[in-house]
Amino acid sequence: MKSLKILISLIVFALFLSVGISNSIADEKDGKAIVDSKKCGSCHKMQGPPDKTIADVLKRKAPDLFYAGSKFKTEWLEKFLQKPTIIRPAGTVYLNNIKMGDKKDEIGDVKPCASNVSAKEAHEVTEYLMTLKEPTMKTGVIVDESFSKAKAKVLFGQKEGCSGCHRDKADSGGTSCPTLYNAGERLNPDWVFDFLKNPQKYDPKIWMPRRELSDEDFMLLAKFLASLK
Amino acid sequence: MKKVSLIVLSIMFLGLMITPLAIAEKAEDNYKLYCFQCHGSKGSGGGINAAALSTAPRDHTSATEMKKLSDKDIFTAIKEGGAAVSKSTFMPPWKSILTDDEIKDMVKHLHKLCNC
Repeated sequence: MKSLKILISLIVFALFLSVGISNSIADEKDGKAIVDSKKCGSCHKMQGPPDKTIADVLKRKAPDLFYAGSKFKTEWLEKFLQKPTIIRPAGTVYLNNIKMGDKKDEIGDVKPCASNVSAKEAHEVTEYLMTLKEPTMKTGVIVDESFSKAKAKVLFGQKEGCSGCHRDKADSGGTSCPTLYNAGERLNPDWVFDFLKNPQKYDPKIWMPRRELSDEDFMLLAKFLASLK
Repeated sequence: MKKVSLIVLSIMFLGLMITPLAIAEKAEDNYKLYCFQCHGSKGSGGGINAAALSTAPRDHTSATEMKKLSDKDIFTAIKEGGAAVSKSTFMPPWKSILTDDEIKDMVKHLHKLCNC
């Protein structure tokens, strides 16, 4: 009698699991169909390889998404797709959006992606985008949140000068690169670690050069960014 | 015949191995994409990031400023970053993007900007 109960429980569990998996696969397919119908690929690169020349980078209209599933956090992506905001204050390629002045340059007109979707569509598109992975990225690297905030701040602000190009607060920091004051909500810390180790692996011509730091320091920066929410 | 094909294939393979992964760009284009963000479109230090930097970016149009640096210093600052020549850490090391030849071309480009 007891074994019969266990067997029934197992069957019910397996059924739930298979329904869950098939729902997820269905969402993934629907998400791909939405991405195709909205022509997301006309602005975003949905497949590698990344741009290899400056001329190609200058034609870029929106960030590459072919490793979105490694880069983003699911919850953030689903919300963002419903109401896109500006992540790069000077646009995807800052050089295309600056007003060149005699003494100083200013940021021109930058608008967020106009192609928002409904909550249901956002869920489906997220399911699809999260399948787009960078195959060489290691997962499970950043396993805990403990780090020295004081050391991280020195590394970020002084030693490596990250704040020169990135906003680490809503009202301070550089503007040519993505804002980081909400990086903890947006980015997968394992991806941050992998990207920091070699930004040119993801984007050979990106205007962020590789730093020669120890894995310990890269991990410190990844944890620091994960704490910015 | 087989031997000849093998040799040809080997040469092609070696050629591929020797070809650098990155494509060499003109100094003007590298300057636009990598330097404008801090040094500005005129090279005078007025880039969109300048306000966020505790040390003002060098004015590449100033002969007085640029003459303070040797070509070797400029090359090292670009390749290894500002800290390598006791300058600002906001100037990052560009060697993961620019080849030595591209940096040499950049040094020449800077001489054009300062007219010095």
